[in-house]
Amino acid sequence: MKLLMALVAMAIAAHPTVASSQTVAVELTQTVGASTESVAAAATQIRAFGEVAGGVRFMGEGAWAARSSSGTDAFGAAYPYANRAQVIEAYGERTFQPGPFLVGIRGGRYRTPFGISSASDHAYDGFFRAPLIRYDNYYALSNNFLEHGADVIVGVPRLTLEVSAGTPSDVGAASRRSGLDTVVRGQGVIGALIVGMSYIRTTPYEDEYYAKGRAVFTGVDLRFMRGGVQVRGEWISGRPFDGTTTTGGYADLIVHRPSMGPITAVMRAEHLAYEVGSPYQLYGTRYTGGARIRVLGRLTAAVDVIHQSGALPQRHSTTVDVGVTYSVRSH
Amino acid sequence: MRPGLLAVAVLASIAGARVPAAFDLHGATRAGNRAEPYAVVWLDAPQGITQAPVSKVVLDQRNLDFFPRILAVRVGTVVEFPNNDRVFHNVFSFHDGKRFDLGLYPVGTMKRVTFDHPGLSRIFCNIHPNMAAHVMSLDTPYFTVSDADGRFAMAAVPPGTYTYHAWRPGRADLTGSVVVGPGASSLEIRWR
Repeated sequence: MKLLMALVAMAIAAHPTVASSQTVAVELTQTVGASTESVAAAATQIRAFGEVAGGVRFMGEGAWAARSSSGTDAFGAAYPYANRAQVIEAYGERTFQPGPFLVGIRGGRYRTPFGISSASDHAYDGFFRAPLIRYDNYYALSNNFLEHGADVIVGVPRLTLEVSAGTPSDVGAASRRSGLDTVVRGQGVIGALIVGMSYIRTTPYEDEYYAKGRAVFTGVDLRFMRGGVQVRGEWISGRPFDGTTTTGGYADLIVHRPSMGPITAVMRAEHLAYEVGSPYQLYGTRYTGGARIRVLGRLTAAVDVIHQSGALPQRHSTTVDVGVTYSVRSH
Repeated sequence: MRPGLLAVAVLASIAGARVPAAFDLHGATRAGNRAEPYAVVWLDAPQGITQAPVSKVVLDQRNLDFFPRILAVRVGTVVEFPNNDRVFHNVFSFHDGKRFDLGLYPVGTMKRVTFDHPGLSRIFCNIHPNMAAHVMSLDTPYFTVSDADGRFAMAAVPPGTYTYHAWRPGRADLTGSVVVGPGASSLEIRWR
């Protein structure tokens, strides 16, 4: 809780030093939910972001989350469920636009910039579960992977190259061992279509006793949005450590057309295969359909129905997750 | 023109004094005894006004927010929507006013929308539910948005009697009459 209080204090203290006409924003989001997998969860997330002198922006994010059981990946979309307050992201960044070019520098603690990695891509969109390839313990790349280092982005707005170098600073159940991380990402924009390719070379999160070597993954991601219809997805392939491979991906469809009023429909199809000697392999296919409903002002409710097959830790082939989220922003 | 104002103008003219062609209208927007910030205030335009709109206005996307969150423009104004965040935004307006959907676009790029008819447009980002702004497109050159303290100023309003309007998110539209002229260039708008 001290960390969260420090974050709030940082946001309050930053108020008088705003350089531009923007104000510092503090966003508080609270979610409670339950799943037919006999698990309930509660989470509080606070984010503060704004500008300080010289065009430097900061972002701070802290979260507390807990759930009644850890034998499921329900409610794994955005937070580590460690039942303690944790700082998630805390970084400063500066973006320059010399002529037609774009240069961005970021330093601090930030989400691993591999694929579709921004918090806003995962935390607000109506899915209660992270994609299988983005979950903590599925031998791929967790949403809770964080870098403690520096990130540089160069190019023109529609074609950029991003390079990150740092050390793992993960939160959640999958915490990589210390060592040097490098992430390289290229991204191109063609109309409303965004295509990205990412590469990461990092340390495994599994026990050093059996997980030798480095974790190396390559991925491709696509995003498209027009007319209230968003299509996005990622496919990754690589090795979590020597002698193993993980491949998998997901495709999301998120629809909010004018005729749907307060309802946003969400659908996901995904697959994961972790190849290692029996009996440790992990594989599965999962389909999710659901809706996010803006109930009243800042209060939203969501329901997801999940059907899965394969060898995943979940107890049931079909489950239902429900939850409500209240989000408030002060300026 | 009201008889009183006409008399002032005539007397001033007889005395040789120059009557200004326009006045700055100052005022405040309040809710009860509290200042009501960021309210749009406008006057109905007299017939025959041909003043051109400002060519372009910027509605920025920065720090996962729109700035300004309340924007008033003249009909025909081009509003630019630059993305100055390192995340993608998708600006759209599906409801009243101008309807558009700009799709995803990255940092360092910008899209434009011409607000070509009067009305209120509610602007959102399809990625970030907490982002919201309002654009009020007006068929008059006499409009303004009150500041954080609820104060406003409207420059170069010709003397006369006008119907004023005031709007703010979550408040009922207010309307009334205001006289602009020598000794009469202030307006207080109060929501109950």
